[in-house]
Amino acid sequence: MDERRYLSPALLASVVVIATSGLVYELIAGTMASYVLGDSVTQFSFVIGLYLFAMGLGSYASKHIERDLLQRFVEIELTIALVGGFSAPLLFTVYTSFGAFRAALYITVTLVGMLVGLEIPLLIRLLEYKLALKDLLARVLSLDYVGALFASLLFPLVLLPKLGIHNTSMLIGLLNALVALGATFLFPLEHGRGLRMRVQCVLVALGLVVGLVAFDRHALRGEATYFGAPIVYATQSSYQRLVITQTRHTTRLFLNGQLQFSSDDEHRYHETLVHPAVAALGHAPKHALVLGGGDGLAVRELLRYPELERVTLVDLDPAVTGVFRTVTLARTLNGGALDDPRVTVRNEDAFAYLEGCKDSFDLALVDFPDPGNYAVGKLYTLTFYQRLRQRLSTRGIAVVQTTSPYFARRSFWMAAETIAAADFAIHPMHVHVPSFGEWGFVLAGPPGFAPPTTLLVPEGGLRYLDERELAGLFRFPRDMERVSVGVNRLNDQQLVSIYTEEWDHWQR
Amino acid sequence: MTRRDLLAAIGAGWLVDASVPSARQFTGRIVGANHRVGHLLRDGASLVPDGEPERADIVVVGSGVSGASAAWRLGGAGIEVLMLELEAFPGGTSAWSEDGVVPHPWGAHYLPAPNPSARATLRLLEELGAVTGYANDGAPTFREELLCHAPDERLFFRGEWHPSLVPLAALDAGERAEFERFQQVRARLRDLVGRDGKPAFTIPLVGSSRDPELLALDRMTMAAWLEREGFRSPFLRWYVEYATLDDFGSTLDDVSAWAGLHYFAARKLETEQLRGSHYLVWPEGNGRLVRHLLDKMHGRREARALVLAIEPRPGDVIVHALDLSGDRPRRRTIRARGVVLAVPGFVARRLLPPALAARVVRRTASPWLVANLHVKRPLEPNRAWDSVLYRGAGLGYVDSGHQRTEPREDTIFTYFRAFGDADVEGTRARLVSERWASLAADVLLDLAPAHPDLAETTSRLDVMVWGHAMPRPRPGFLTEDGVAPFEPTPLLDARVAWAHVDRTGYALFEEANAHGVRAAEALAENLSAEIGASWL
Repeated sequence: MDERRYLSPALLASVVVIATSGLVYELIAGTMASYVLGDSVTQFSFVIGLYLFAMGLGSYASKHIERDLLQRFVEIELTIALVGGFSAPLLFTVYTSFGAFRAALYITVTLVGMLVGLEIPLLIRLLEYKLALKDLLARVLSLDYVGALFASLLFPLVLLPKLGIHNTSMLIGLLNALVALGATFLFPLEHGRGLRMRVQCVLVALGLVVGLVAFDRHALRGEATYFGAPIVYATQSSYQRLVITQTRHTTRLFLNGQLQFSSDDEHRYHETLVHPAVAALGHAPKHALVLGGGDGLAVRELLRYPELERVTLVDLDPAVTGVFRTVTLARTLNGGALDDPRVTVRNEDAFAYLEGCKDSFDLALVDFPDPGNYAVGKLYTLTFYQRLRQRLSTRGIAVVQTTSPYFARRSFWMAAETIAAADFAIHPMHVHVPSFGEWGFVLAGPPGFAPPTTLLVPEGGLRYLDERELAGLFRFPRDMERVSVGVNRLNDQQLVSIYTEEWDHWQR
Repeated sequence: MTRRDLLAAIGAGWLVDASVPSARQFTGRIVGANHRVGHLLRDGASLVPDGEPERADIVVVGSGVSGASAAWRLGGAGIEVLMLELEAFPGGTSAWSEDGVVPHPWGAHYLPAPNPSARATLRLLEELGAVTGYANDGAPTFREELLCHAPDERLFFRGEWHPSLVPLAALDAGERAEFERFQQVRARLRDLVGRDGKPAFTIPLVGSSRDPELLALDRMTMAAWLEREGFRSPFLRWYVEYATLDDFGSTLDDVSAWAGLHYFAARKLETEQLRGSHYLVWPEGNGRLVRHLLDKMHGRREARALVLAIEPRPGDVIVHALDLSGDRPRRRTIRARGVVLAVPGFVARRLLPPALAARVVRRTASPWLVANLHVKRPLEPNRAWDSVLYRGAGLGYVDSGHQRTEPREDTIFTYFRAFGDADVEGTRARLVSERWASLAADVLLDLAPAHPDLAETTSRLDVMVWGHAMPRPRPGFLTEDGVAPFEPTPLLDARVAWAHVDRTGYALFEEANAHGVRAAEALAENLSAEIGASWL
């Protein structure tokens, strides 16, 4: 075969890789922009327009490159590999740390666009000696477009869902570096230059591999940020959207956009939820019921009592309990509490569970999301607390999460009054949780039971609570003092509207 | 979306499927009320006597609320009954169905917390565990999970949902002022007492005042009363008409003002517990109440039994009937000690000898359409039990799964439409002849403003057409010549009692329940059967 009329498969593959990667960078930029800035139509329009324009600039600039075509081509490939490859992590870091996201975005897009614009003209010129121009253009440009199709299918269907945006970005960069390396073997070289170019290629490729591994280790595989922190896990269950974010020191769980806990200070919340109730009971529970609390953090606190016999945890959403059983970073937080042999997890509606339940419990921890809608609001009604009362032993203790007595004072006291109306004696508590603000619980038990004054966990076993703080939980300053609001009933659910109104006030 | 599009989507689903990916086909059929069999009676079936008659103690004709209540009352005294029901299912217009993800009603679907004066109904609710006790003033307390869980109602008004049927914040100042004035009138009428010392309006009707000044309201239409009192805003007229359609199947122009005002003024209970919804709601609607009544009867119940004639004789009553449960109709005669007729007036008149038929009032009955939509829709944490579209053709729909506490995506919407205009004959004829696809399209079209995607989330849409759903209290229904207001005795004859709500022309659960109990007690007394103190 005539050497001049033949393009090797390796060369053809290189063209496809170049074309694919060019489009993937564009898609990465568009995706980042729409994640961070929202309004995806506008963001994609801007990014595509700017990118194509920059490619035009690059193509025009290619006429100024006259000598050492191969060396220039390899250098351009390597620059693309670096700038494009690190574009997603770079933009992400800019967004989370510096804030000049738009400027960084448009600079990156312009730079990558120009470099990609340079690629094809240079490649064509490198191949000039092999084929007639009409054949060359036909081959290269058609493969360029095939690569574009390839990229546009691969990116949304495989790369983004499987690898996440950061790894996609670096993987594609790696491919560019490999193309550069390949070029040093495919084209004739001046003697002595080959080694230096190849070393450069290998260094860039290594850099990208290190990047891939490092990002993997930090679990920053997330596709976007949420309230300013990278998402490490997100899923939509039948009931809610579950998002876990992680920064270097802090893990947070959001359900439908509402913060459920922050690993920084959840110990304050869960210690207050669990230990005063156990202290009021006077001994480690034999059979504890946890309603809600699918994150297993309250169970973790319960398991501190070695004499505890059984825990039944009822959480509606299998997605939540599933994540906190199987996903390492979530499981680390609860210490694998949900897989403890003493713990039974049931994914059911708590209301329905109590109706069908025959068991008796000596301790119940009730930790539902706030009553922001009527579906959750049912779990804050007189009927619900009456059912709960029926499932508790005579001396049984319950503790109920009852929103913030500061931000939603009337809601808090309405919940407290409703619990009291179900024949419980109550001792309301509050604690300061920095991520939440002042937060409230109601400790409920048999008529005449006294608030605890000592804790049953060994001294120093807790991070926040000690006997001095314990007494403080029950003292309400004047601006959170009891207000009389009434009882929340299933056929009325005034709590939902009061709660919504109170929180709207603070969010405005 | 037009009706034609919808018809196409239903009728030629595969074709539409091919062109519009989102339009999915659903199935369904017309169920229930067998008009053809009912019309056997109208068209005259032969009464050829045959062999030895069967024997029964008391025959109850009809298993709607009044018939079931009579059987319940007799069962309470240990008296056996034979209940004959034309349809394959019991319940009359409180019929229900249990196939699907949740039981659902085919008719009456709620009971407002009854007044202390509705004693029989309160006894029933006690038996069901729905009434848990009474306050010192006699006001009942209810088992809370049976009261409609909040939110009970919402209105689709000017393009969005508003909590409750009255979107106060969205009304203009004039409309709001008029509504508030109406509420004042309503409160005054609720507490109003006639010159005879009885409440102006109460339930059962028999306890209401006969003060001629109040009864005069029965001689004008609700529309005329609104006009006279200066209630003219479109919203208020819609609101009041929604009520008269809901309870009487009538527009404002064809309903007595007494009845219209009774709707707003007869419910007296005001307790702390009822600050929220005062509706008692079961997934299967009032079918739950009928089920209990039937459980407590003694004797047996036969479905698909068409009664042809009631023939009172000295010493007994002969009931002529057709058994339609087999492949071919079978003639039968039953000799009974007494009969409780729990069928509407227009049916009762055909069954009775002329002298007795003349004592039976014939009411105008409103046609209704009820549809059950089996849907799977994304969770809506604030979805109400009752969703109403402002100025919709129908009355909206209730979510039959509403009282379940666990969040579920699949449920059944029960849709209601009352045909309230004066031409009931024409409407009835049209409805009975309509095909399923056409009725289903009308339902979807009516709900489309609020739920344009409903067809896509519906897997099954069944329809029931009620030719004679309920008596319509037209002007004069209480006071016109030949109808004594609140006639006390249900006995048409020594051995035949009429229990149906057509007697007073007012279809409320407590009313039907009281009629059934009263008929049973009167008949038992006449037959010297031991039945104990009255439940009324």
